[in-house]
Amino acid sequence: MTGTLKSGANPGANPGQADPEKARRARQDREAIVRLADDLLPALIAKLAASGLGEIEVREGGWKARLRKPATADAGRRSGGRVAEALAGHGHAAPRGAAGHGRPDERDLRSRPEAETVEESDRIAARSPAVGIYHPRDMAVGMRVRSGDRIGSVDVLGVQQDVVAPVDGVIGSSLAEAGEAVEYGQELVRIGLPEHLAGETDLLAREPATLAGRP
Amino acid sequence: MFAKILIANRGEIALRILRACRTLGVGAVVAYSEADRESLAAQLADEAICIGPADARHSYLSASAIVSAAVVTGCDAIHPGYGFLSEDEGFADVVRAHGLTFVGPPAEVLERFASKEGTRRLLGAQGLPTIPGSGMLRDEAHALEEAERIGYPVLVKPSAGGGGKGMRLCRTPRELESSLKVSRSEAMAGFGDDSLYLEKFLDDSRHVEVQVAVDRFGNAIHMGERDCSVQRRHQKLLEETPSPSLSDAARQELCDRAVKAVAGAGYENLGTLEFLVDGKGDAYFIEINCRIQVEHPITELCTGIDMVALQIKIAAGEPIGMTQADVVSRGHAIEFRILAEDPANDFRPQAGQVDAYLAPGGPGVRMDSHLYPGYDIPSYYDSLLGKLCVWGPDRAQAIARADAALRELLVDGVITNIELHRAILANQVFIDGKVTTGLLDRVGSAPFVAAGNR
Repeated sequence: MTGTLKSGANPGANPGQADPEKARRARQDREAIVRLADDLLPALIAKLAASGLGEIEVREGGWKARLRKPATADAGRRSGGRVAEALAGHGHAAPRGAAGHGRPDERDLRSRPEAETVEESDRIAARSPAVGIYHPRDMAVGMRVRSGDRIGSVDVLGVQQDVVAPVDGVIGSSLAEAGEAVEYGQELVRIGLPEHLAGETDLLAREPATLAGRP
Repeated sequence: MFAKILIANRGEIALRILRACRTLGVGAVVAYSEADRESLAAQLADEAICIGPADARHSYLSASAIVSAAVVTGCDAIHPGYGFLSEDEGFADVVRAHGLTFVGPPAEVLERFASKEGTRRLLGAQGLPTIPGSGMLRDEAHALEEAERIGYPVLVKPSAGGGGKGMRLCRTPRELESSLKVSRSEAMAGFGDDSLYLEKFLDDSRHVEVQVAVDRFGNAIHMGERDCSVQRRHQKLLEETPSPSLSDAARQELCDRAVKAVAGAGYENLGTLEFLVDGKGDAYFIEINCRIQVEHPITELCTGIDMVALQIKIAAGEPIGMTQADVVSRGHAIEFRILAEDPANDFRPQAGQVDAYLAPGGPGVRMDSHLYPGYDIPSYYDSLLGKLCVWGPDRAQAIARADAALRELLVDGVITNIELHRAILANQVFIDGKVTTGLLDRVGSAPFVAAGNR
């Protein structure tokens, strides 16, 4: 575990100077550091170790502490067990991250720990921009796309909204059918990164996202 | 009756509507934003659909997202709950244009009652005494002229508004001049409409509202009144029925006149007529709410009527199915709005995880809440965590049961106003039934909390 302390406010403060304002600020800084070291850091380290987070940053006065876990952190140690999980009985496999992003957002890391270990790049998918009926463009698996390329559309009461590739990559497996009702943020098409094409077979085996209880 | 209803709201009211749908044997789909994926309503629903991001403008306030969700899930009606699009006649119109039913007044009825000033004229013509007020203010000179005619103090109010936003109390022409600009910009930011009007302000008045229901066949009933005088900055905190400030005769007369006027003006579905009652006991109509209200459960506790189910039935074109004589109100009920707000810190809204939650029980106790242990309160929406509603055979027993229930209620992890409610219950002014709308703002909540802790 690595930690850094940075002062955002007043790095030049020198307690030896006579300026009462500077002396006051230096005293405040020292107090902040003591608070950080004695109270905050041990609590933070415990919290970081127990969480699935890779990094924690806190501010105290003009000071900022950032703790980062080594990249080898064992993702498998994270466990679920919230009421939310137990209650989620409607087979809702749809999107969890923010639209257009392949990587799970902060909320995922905090409150929806995944039991499975999935490479971040494997999770990249083009998502639905709105709730409506999905119309994919005819694109073969393996076709190269650039970030922002239109790869389909969602019909929202007759208005077409573009589904776009969130990153440069290649078209992977489809996660929704043409004419299917999709919800906001739903994963529609996997986008493989060229260097991660080897993972594609694994992706195909995964359960496609479905709209819960669709008629 | 409908086959399936889309619930286009969140929090406790989404849960309340889901329960009504299940009671009626109607299917329900909960529409939720990304921030509400783990909400109780979304989890308990047989069907749930994500309609947009956390920002309500692109989810709960997006007519196209909501109607599209209803269409693709095969719903034939949309329940808007309260707040958000619940009184938006444009939304009701879009819903109808897509062959769906809006659970609430039809679009043309909402339009007729959309302007507060127009509604006062409409119901004034039906014989209701209305609060003296102005028409839409053209400019500063017009405002000063109208204020002179009405008499100070006056309230500047946004015509499209609600919930106290953009409202300013002015006791002098000078205050009025400086308030107009601020109110206009607040109204524009809050409601996208900067039209203002003036209303006579009554010091030490009480806020009393009459619950009515009208079907499309012209059958109309009232379900008694509610007293919502315990407020903080024009926001209701605690409501009770019947009002301790009205005699039985005065109550009877107010409710009868209200239901007669609203039916005469062509209203349809559930509605609430709000009145200010002055120190002499005279009631003046101020505005109508064309939706289910937060505080509806206390009326349900006293009358035994499922008001959300009734609202859905009327929207489906069914008759009310009862007459005024069938509506019998028994005992006394009080609602406490449990808010994630810090009374010691200027009522700052709180967000974060609820570590522990335990709802109270016992005779006459009802808790409508979407909380569960581990629930993460999103910071995007209002701070209502739930409503504790307590019924007793009379007011004293209702207060005693309420205090016991508030002591039992446990919400750990976020700061709430539970203790403030206990303090209000213990306050002599409340016990005497003499709270007026300005009381909490005038004395501040600190004396209440301090007294309650003793």
